[in-house]
Amino acid sequence: MLKNNFKIAWRNLTNNKVYSAINIMGLAAGMAVALLIGLWVNYQYSFDKYLPNYGQSYQVRRNFNSNGDTLTFSSTSLKLADALRNNYPEIEYVAETDGGREHGLMVGNTKLLLTGKQAGADFFKIFSFPFIEGNADGLKDPYSIVLTESTAKALFGSKNAMNQMVKVDNKNNLKVTGIIKDLPANSSLALNYIIPFSYFEIVDPGVKAARKQSFGNNGFELFAKLKDGIKYSQLAPKIKNMEQYEDNLNAKNSDVIMQPIQDWHLYNTYTNGKASGGFIEYVRIFSIIGILVLMIACINFINLTTARSEKRAREVGIRKAIGSQRKQLILQFLTESVLVTFVAFLFAIVIVLLALSSFNTLAGTSIFLPYTSGWFWLITLGCTFSTAIIAGSRPAFYLSSFNPVQVLKGTIQTARGAALSRKALVIVQFSCSIVLIISTVIIYQQIQHAKNRPTGYATNRLVTSTTNDDINANAVAIKHALLQSGAVASITTSSSTATGINWHSDVDNFPGKNPGETVEMGMIAVSEDYFKTLGMQLKEGHDFIGNAKADSSNVILNEAGVKRLRLTNPVGQTLTKFGRKMNIIGVVKDALMDSPFQAADPSLFFFDGGGNIIYRLSPGMNTHEAIEKVSAIFNSYSPASPFAYRFVDDDYNQKFNLELLVGKLAGIFAGLAIFISCLGLFGLAAYVAEQRTKEIGVRKVLGATVAQVWLLLSKDFVLLVVISCVIASPIALYFLQNWLNKYTYRITIGPGVFIISAVAAITITLLTISYQAIKAAIANPVKSLRSE
Amino acid sequence: MLSLQHISKYYQVGGNKNFVINDISLDIDEGEFISIMGPSGSGKSTLLNIIGMLDEPTDGFHYFVDQPVHQLKEKQRAALYKQYIGFVFQAYHLIDELTVYENIETPLIYQDVKGSERKAMVADMLDRFQIVGKKDLFPAQLSGGQQQLVGIARALIAKPKLLLADEPTGNLNSKQGEEIMELFRKLNKEDGVTIIQVTHSEKNAEYGTRIINLLDGRVESSRKL
Repeated sequence: MLKNNFKIAWRNLTNNKVYSAINIMGLAAGMAVALLIGLWVNYQYSFDKYLPNYGQSYQVRRNFNSNGDTLTFSSTSLKLADALRNNYPEIEYVAETDGGREHGLMVGNTKLLLTGKQAGADFFKIFSFPFIEGNADGLKDPYSIVLTESTAKALFGSKNAMNQMVKVDNKNNLKVTGIIKDLPANSSLALNYIIPFSYFEIVDPGVKAARKQSFGNNGFELFAKLKDGIKYSQLAPKIKNMEQYEDNLNAKNSDVIMQPIQDWHLYNTYTNGKASGGFIEYVRIFSIIGILVLMIACINFINLTTARSEKRAREVGIRKAIGSQRKQLILQFLTESVLVTFVAFLFAIVIVLLALSSFNTLAGTSIFLPYTSGWFWLITLGCTFSTAIIAGSRPAFYLSSFNPVQVLKGTIQTARGAALSRKALVIVQFSCSIVLIISTVIIYQQIQHAKNRPTGYATNRLVTSTTNDDINANAVAIKHALLQSGAVASITTSSSTATGINWHSDVDNFPGKNPGETVEMGMIAVSEDYFKTLGMQLKEGHDFIGNAKADSSNVILNEAGVKRLRLTNPVGQTLTKFGRKMNIIGVVKDALMDSPFQAADPSLFFFDGGGNIIYRLSPGMNTHEAIEKVSAIFNSYSPASPFAYRFVDDDYNQKFNLELLVGKLAGIFAGLAIFISCLGLFGLAAYVAEQRTKEIGVRKVLGATVAQVWLLLSKDFVLLVVISCVIASPIALYFLQNWLNKYTYRITIGPGVFIISAVAAITITLLTISYQAIKAAIANPVKSLRSE
Repeated sequence: MLSLQHISKYYQVGGNKNFVINDISLDIDEGEFISIMGPSGSGKSTLLNIIGMLDEPTDGFHYFVDQPVHQLKEKQRAALYKQYIGFVFQAYHLIDELTVYENIETPLIYQDVKGSERKAMVADMLDRFQIVGKKDLFPAQLSGGQQQLVGIARALIAKPKLLLADEPTGNLNSKQGEEIMELFRKLNKEDGVTIIQVTHSEKNAEYGTRIINLLDGRVESSRKL
């Protein structure tokens, strides 16, 4: 029976090549999309799961109450680390780290500038990275370093790195006491080496001192592992207020919370102190899109199969007449759908294999087809089978319901109901596709909108490099040499890069401050020529004098900062910060240093300088030549560290990465959705043209032109697409308005995008069906009439 | 073998009943070979379909091998049908996607006959109808007469007690038609298969043992030969 069913199914497949091809291609494309999205979603959920202590590891964060707004920070104090370590038996390990920064690593002539962490002794007990050689104990010696496999290879080549020395920041030799495997791509932590925190405390006395200072001294990251069997919910109420006994405004307004490792990647946005969302939203949206595209492909299958039912009706009649029960017919049609779906699944696997590397490049992932995993096959084959049953049920039940007497007499009409539900399904397909098209257009409009937004400073030819001790020691000479060389037009230093503000803190006092109020702002230390170099414009007052002593009590605010402090005539007023009175000497216009989608961050600039050198290349000189010259100067003063630089406009453009990724993915899936929908339409148009061959023949004999016949066949389909546009537009508007609300700086959705999308959808529809319509229209009527 | 009592079939058109079969009562014994005749629209095919349980009457009582068909559930009816009845169509109605062999085999599959047994039965049938050489051909590759032979072979494969034929020779030339009729007579005489055929041809009707004439959904005359 089953064998027989498969035989028939196979013959039906091969006898109707066009229909089969459309069915299989559509389903394969739909399944490939679903599979790809499934793999992508699985990849996003797989983050950090490779760590053995996945279930019990946490990052410590602070919810900071800033005048009623809860801001969540990952920067914490060393005092908090010790307090957690010593006072809570529920916590097994606590490890303090820096934020992860670049250090120069040197072995012989090999110089590398790589990001790594300086981490407390228990770091490896929380994150049990697999050691290839050595072990975590080595970190007990401050003068040790653990490298990842590829860092070891880059520094030592084929030589064994164990127990060799690496010179860090051209200062001290650290002994390699362990080599760990490279962290996988789906790891939230990204590091190339680990240096003991104790070393950090030796080279930076400020760090050692910080341990004895207050909870307000936040500049470190903390990780913790709870004891097995302890739930975070048990611990949470105990640690929440632990900072608040300290007489310190910052600590008083901080709640201590922990975020479990499984939420690090997906729940990276905090609102009101709760990890409310973040990347997970996109993971959810794309899961839905995957299911929708698969559904669109299933609709093709349903529509084409029921449309062809007239051809199959006679067979159904005969089978019933020679003793088949309905059940058996249903089984037969389901067998056909299973066969088609599994053939499509094979194609889908091939498509995914071919597309995977481009997809990985596009999405910045490292997804692979886990073909050795039993679960993978179980799930995909299960899904394929369910798809077959879902897509096959409607045709199976419909076809098997025919009355044998009627179909054998040839009196059956394709039921109006079937044609109607076919139309409804087409509308569903096109509505989904059009929603995706509109979304893509709006996402790109929003990106373009933000890209066109004035940044408030000039990013072109602006370059950032980081300092090190050698550079700091020769700062004046380097500045002089750079300006002298003609390669650099202007140069300054700052605690933040031009595209980020890495320190937020509260202003202790200012005119009009309410009691108990904390006002948090971006704090940016700058040196001479900062505003000039970045191209920021002073609105009021004057720039720093350029003299460290004279400027030590001067600050400049940006416009947003003035607003946050509610100052009306800021210049000349004083505020308290760093424990002393500071004069507001000027106000600069807002610049978008953080998100291009949000309002400019309120910021306070003070005169100190910092770890980032920011300089603008001279406009007259070719970029390549200028960088060569700059590189030579840096290398001569800082021989131990490779010269590294970043263009500010590149950094700025990276702020659009997430939106661009979403836009690209939405675009691809919209394209595929409309492609699959059109594939189905193509098949339906062929069916309609075939069904109406006689009518068309008669009309042509009566004098209808090709254009008239084309119109006759096309208008029904166009109507469906128009209805789809009408349905899709408000749905898209609703979802996209929600999406846009995340952005302070956003476009207003006008009618244009809906019109453009509708016109595009109708044009594509017309192109798709015109082939069939024109083919039917130019056929010789004598032929079509004779064939009746 | 079967008995129809006051069988009617009508369609409601507006306020009127449009009778296709109008109060027909009919008894058929085992071993009969009945030819149903009558002009187009007289209800011949509908009657045949009702007898064959492909169609249901609107009114009346239908007994088949002493079972009240009008009271049976769909499933029981199907079982009865499978066991006792074979159908032959004017337009042959072979399944285009299946070979001659597979077409003949299909009813056995629906009756859950085992594979080896099926093979023997189909081989036997092919032999009997002398179409062994054609077993791997598809219907489109056969002449009309040959297709109808396959159709009859398919109808007989499950050894039905009752063979229903709706104008079995209607699409055939006279020589092919005669051969089929000879075959029917032989089946009736030698194998004892009860046959009911619908025909337009007076000559073909003469092969039967009884001729029933229908007119406007009623039995106009019935004569034994």
